[in-house]
Amino acid sequence: MSENNKKVGVYICYCGGNISDHVDVEEVRNRVEKMPGVTVARTNMFMCSDPGQEMIIEDLKSDKIDRVVVASCAPSLHEATFRGAIERAGSNPFIYDHANIREQVSWVHHGETATDKATLLIAAASAKSKLLKPLEPIRVEAKKHTTVIGGGIAGIKTALDIAQKGIEVALIEKLPILGGRLNSLDRLAPFGEKASDILKELLDPVLNHNAITIHTDSKIETIKGYVGNFSLIVTKKENNKDIKLNIETGAIVMATGSVSYTPLNGEFGFGQHEQVITLQDLITLLKENKSSGSSLEVNGKRIKNMVMIHCVGSRQIPGIHQPKENGQLNEYCSRTCCAALLNAANQIREKFPETGIYEMYRDIRTYGRGQEELYEQASKNKVVFMRYEADAPPVVSESNHSEYPLKVKITDSLTFNEVMDVPADLVVLATGIEPDNVSDIASMMKLPIGTDQFLLEVHPKLRPVEFSITGIFLGGTCQAPMDTGETCNAAGAAAVKASALLSKGYIELDPFVAEVNTDKCQGHGACIEACLKEGALTLTEVKIDGKIVKKAQVTAAMCLGCGACAAVCPKKAIDINGWALKQYEDMVDAIVSDGFAV
Amino acid sequence: MSPQAKRQENKILILATETCAYPGADSVGQAHSTYPANTYILRVRAPVLFPESFYFDCFRKGISGIIVMSCGEECPYDGAYKALAKRLDAVYKKMKAMEIDLKRLRLTAICTVCNRAFLKEVNQMDQLVRELGPPQLEA
Repeated sequence: MSENNKKVGVYICYCGGNISDHVDVEEVRNRVEKMPGVTVARTNMFMCSDPGQEMIIEDLKSDKIDRVVVASCAPSLHEATFRGAIERAGSNPFIYDHANIREQVSWVHHGETATDKATLLIAAASAKSKLLKPLEPIRVEAKKHTTVIGGGIAGIKTALDIAQKGIEVALIEKLPILGGRLNSLDRLAPFGEKASDILKELLDPVLNHNAITIHTDSKIETIKGYVGNFSLIVTKKENNKDIKLNIETGAIVMATGSVSYTPLNGEFGFGQHEQVITLQDLITLLKENKSSGSSLEVNGKRIKNMVMIHCVGSRQIPGIHQPKENGQLNEYCSRTCCAALLNAANQIREKFPETGIYEMYRDIRTYGRGQEELYEQASKNKVVFMRYEADAPPVVSESNHSEYPLKVKITDSLTFNEVMDVPADLVVLATGIEPDNVSDIASMMKLPIGTDQFLLEVHPKLRPVEFSITGIFLGGTCQAPMDTGETCNAAGAAAVKASALLSKGYIELDPFVAEVNTDKCQGHGACIEACLKEGALTLTEVKIDGKIVKKAQVTAAMCLGCGACAAVCPKKAIDINGWALKQYEDMVDAIVSDGFAV
Repeated sequence: MSPQAKRQENKILILATETCAYPGADSVGQAHSTYPANTYILRVRAPVLFPESFYFDCFRKGISGIIVMSCGEECPYDGAYKALAKRLDAVYKKMKAMEIDLKRLRLTAICTVCNRAFLKEVNQMDQLVRELGPPQLEA
């Protein structure tokens, strides 16, 4: 059946005045009714209400229409609602398109122009809908097994949560031990739990869980396949021998974590003065410290004055901060260092009252629950706060004072830019978080990496633990700076997503993937060259009329549905189901012809 | 069509990615920030779908300006943005040869909450197409 024979039903919503206050909905209906291919045009106060949906169902059942266009709010809100209504009418849910006449019309335009624009957007959706065809979700058998890459707190928590849902897990860690960065932390901000206690609580059940197989000292060599059916080759060191493992898995969770920023040589005197250390060094010192007096002692020396400098390796500004050798600047806030530094300062001030602390900050960002209290507590503990501007950072240099090896010069904006020299016998740099370099694994799976070098989810709010490649998830500080609590949240979310995906043993995927018109395909192979996902498109030899010819073939479960292939085919023999190039061409025709393109 | 609509000859086509710019445009709506109504937003998965010819066809059909609102470097399809940028370079070269004002086609990145950037882009393009009028190309 050609697109000209389609019977389009258009359903226009008043949205209780949200739309109809600015768009003359009945006038739109009058215009739309006359458009080619539109057999039914109706309005309702709330199309998403039961009576509204019922109108669509009735028209489908009585065969008045075979394509549906709903003109209402943003499609993100009710696309699923209307697809559901169409399914209830016994029709295929993919014969539907949407015109966004609230967020993109009535809320931003007024009067006649709003009515006109709504008409044209419906005309475009109607033109598109004529080329929609019934689609079936792609069904893929899925192994009830997940591979978690990274054995830090994110990986451990993800593995445990998935295993508790009855799904097998392979937990892969490159180092000889599990636990990641928590192994080197002490009391965690803001509530002061011991990192080792938290780890133990999670590690005990992980080590004893039958469904979890742990591979430490292991490196990922290759990752192939697609959702439900990935295969990994992993090299594991055992008794000084390399063993190759094959892991067949249904889903993958990236929990590859982060590293602490290493200051450049000379940055705040780091590497030049032994008394300049990182926050991580200080935490290790505190963890192992046996000082019993009223002052903190480091290497046998009493610390009278300690200077802590915030934002080292974070919130870097082009033109002010020196990039690393690879040109990278960390322009983001590492989020965890303010609270961690204040936490350490409070511990020191409360245990060693003779050790004075000066915190030099750009901004204090104690954003989370319980963190502001740390800041208040630090003030009560008589920590002295001084504020510097990014372009006038504190300068650490040798002191000629007999008692203090160092001095830190600061232009303090809290005292109207007074310049002060603070004597110090220890300087602590609040070094931020950087993602661990996983570019090799990311390139194997074609995972996107953001400009900040962290792994990039599909959407930070709507799909925060998913990649666009179905079946691969992420959680924890490989994604962004997070504290332990936030990391566990993200890990839990990734675990739920992975478990839900694999729970049935098969997966139904969106059918919006490339489809080859084999009559038109001449086997040029341009689509394969343009394809962004290795293995999603292949040239296959087929026999037609006794001759062997080459044709492009799509592996639906691997196709991203981006359309890179459709743009380059000289014969227009490949397109994306539901989002076809031809549909866009027809939408443009509808827009330029004021709705009356056939 | 109303007489007022007929005056609106300078149509702007906006190709907005479904994960970034399209919800970005919705966010502008939620803020009730008005912008010119001669803008027609089409939701796309990735603008890498469109071949060079699509842009010229649009100009030929009478579209005065096109804004590709992508996810930029934050594109969820690894490699798609690079391919898109390369394609648009080729489009610009041809536009130059055909003496079409290059400003009629704009590639930009709009996030889900980039309201100000969205408004700036559409207002700038609107001003431009008002000055230039529709492109004069043979059908």
